[in-house]
Amino acid sequence: MVSDAFVPGRPVLLTRVRRTGGQVLVTLARSVAIFVPVFFVGTFVTFALRGLSGLSPARLQLGEDATPQAIHQIESAWGLDRPFLAQYWSWFTGVLHGDLGTSWSNGADIATLIGLGLGVSLSVAVLALIIGVLLGFALGTVAALRRTTWIDRAVTGFVTVVSTMPAFVVGIVLVEIFAVGLGWLPSAGYSPAEDGIGPWLAHIILPALALSFDIVADVARQLRTGLVSAYRENYVIGARVRGLSPRRIFWRHVLRNGLGPALATLGVRFPILIGQSVVAEWIFGLQGFGRFANDSAQTGDVPAVQGVLVVSVALVVTFNLIVNIVLGRVAPASRRGV
Amino acid sequence: MLRRIFSLASGRIALVILAVIALLAIFGPLLAPHDPLATSTDLLAGPSGSHWLGTDNLGRDVFSRLLAGSRISVLGSLEVAAMALVVGAIPGIVSVYLGRAFEWLSLRLADTLVALPFLLFAVAVTALLGNGITQAMLVTGVLVSPMFYRVARAATMSVARSQYVEAALISGASLGWIVRRHVWVKVLPPIAVAFAQTIGVGFIVVSSLTFLGIGVQPPAPTWGGLLASDLGFLSYQPWAPFAPALLIMLTVWACNLLADAMRDVSGEAGRALINARKVRANQVAAGGSQ
Repeated sequence: MVSDAFVPGRPVLLTRVRRTGGQVLVTLARSVAIFVPVFFVGTFVTFALRGLSGLSPARLQLGEDATPQAIHQIESAWGLDRPFLAQYWSWFTGVLHGDLGTSWSNGADIATLIGLGLGVSLSVAVLALIIGVLLGFALGTVAALRRTTWIDRAVTGFVTVVSTMPAFVVGIVLVEIFAVGLGWLPSAGYSPAEDGIGPWLAHIILPALALSFDIVADVARQLRTGLVSAYRENYVIGARVRGLSPRRIFWRHVLRNGLGPALATLGVRFPILIGQSVVAEWIFGLQGFGRFANDSAQTGDVPAVQGVLVVSVALVVTFNLIVNIVLGRVAPASRRGV
Repeated sequence: MLRRIFSLASGRIALVILAVIALLAIFGPLLAPHDPLATSTDLLAGPSGSHWLGTDNLGRDVFSRLLAGSRISVLGSLEVAAMALVVGAIPGIVSVYLGRAFEWLSLRLADTLVALPFLLFAVAVTALLGNGITQAMLVTGVLVSPMFYRVARAATMSVARSQYVEAALISGASLGWIVRRHVWVKVLPPIAVAFAQTIGVGFIVVSSLTFLGIGVQPPAPTWGGLLASDLGFLSYQPWAPFAPALLIMLTVWACNLLADAMRDVSGEAGRALINARKVRANQVAAGGSQ
């Protein structure tokens, strides 16, 4: 009879699953409520860029000495003579359906153009995130476990140096060492994953490393602070008194409570990571979407730039949603104030 | 405040480095031994007596270009910080007092700005709005302003809920007087910390943009631009990127160090630090006299 009480029966399990699902849904709903206005304002700002820039497809296609009639004809063909809000609305509904419009410079479908580069950019960004989280996790944990020893000071010093290095400086140094100096890895270019994992990894590992430095520094710093303060809590002393093993105390009690700030900082880091892909792709000669943004901005192709910006905002919002859900699962205390 | 920062070793280092960089920015273009734009036939030469850091791919003196480029880089980061301060700090303070509608609106706006990948936006907006370093910096300033907004708002909230402010309100003090007399003193230190950090961030953004060739006209030298032109000739001059990269890193590091030092000496933590030092100094003095 006694043992029965400890085995979770079917109804108990069901309630638990239902409660977990409910919590995830609540977190999701709350995060969506925050990010919908973000997406709305973000797209609005993006769309207002054309009005602010005063650029027009006519200049791009006809050159500087076009007649006013020809300019007007082209502008009305693109629907640019309509009221601003009407233009915004049709563009916005298009965006929601995945239609980002057509490029001013060559009339190609922008969603397709961005899709070509997105694979490259996402490969690099995801690899950078993985490297950053793993290294940052290792460094932060070691520093927290060996706090106030020389290991802690060495890690902190390393992290400080790393955090002052801009991504493009790291990128240049990496090219210098691994591509020019040692000749181990290609200095530029991309090879899709379908053509073999080895060449694919060889082409994206350097840009990913360059972008990961900031993440390593941030994750390590936040994790160290979080873990150190969690170790000072009374429940850790209590667990120690009860005779739990250090390993169990770390994984079950300290880590779950100290992880929050490090996870939250990932959400803040992601937009910066996306932004820095412009520089990384320039250094490493990758045709990613950051490069596409740079090139179309330089030629004044406004719809293409808007498309890239919308995609980047969508990526950031999606990533932050995931971070919030994970955060709600791992550190339930964070759910109180999102 | 300045004297307290100077009492910390890290504060001293940071201020000295920043002073040197500031001098570079002011006098650098005048000190340049050669014309930074003049080309010569001496291509990609190594360091020598007349060319301290060698020459680049067009035979221009790298040391002169470094000195001449310092002003744009430093001014740009100052512009970013100033713009962010104005756009972020004032709404941050005001949002506590102007009612819920303004509070909600400004919070959502800050959320949005944080979510925008600011380098991507800076690149796009600068290229579209006319290629100038000032446009780029103003846009970047707006994009990093949420940091000031949050810092100023948090500091103001802690003051606004405190008892002495409530006491002042009850005794009939006006809102403007309270902001000037109580809020301002409490809000200033965290804003100064954020300002130092933002200069560091701005510096990275300026160098990234000039590295991409955005915001400057080609022959004009900048630290980021120097790195970009070195990138193409790494196999001839592998050491070339080190001088500009080192300068950029030193500046960013000094800004972060200054921010940390300011945080250490201001507020409650600062008072504790100063007191502890006094006690120790007294103990040493007492020990010495015995």
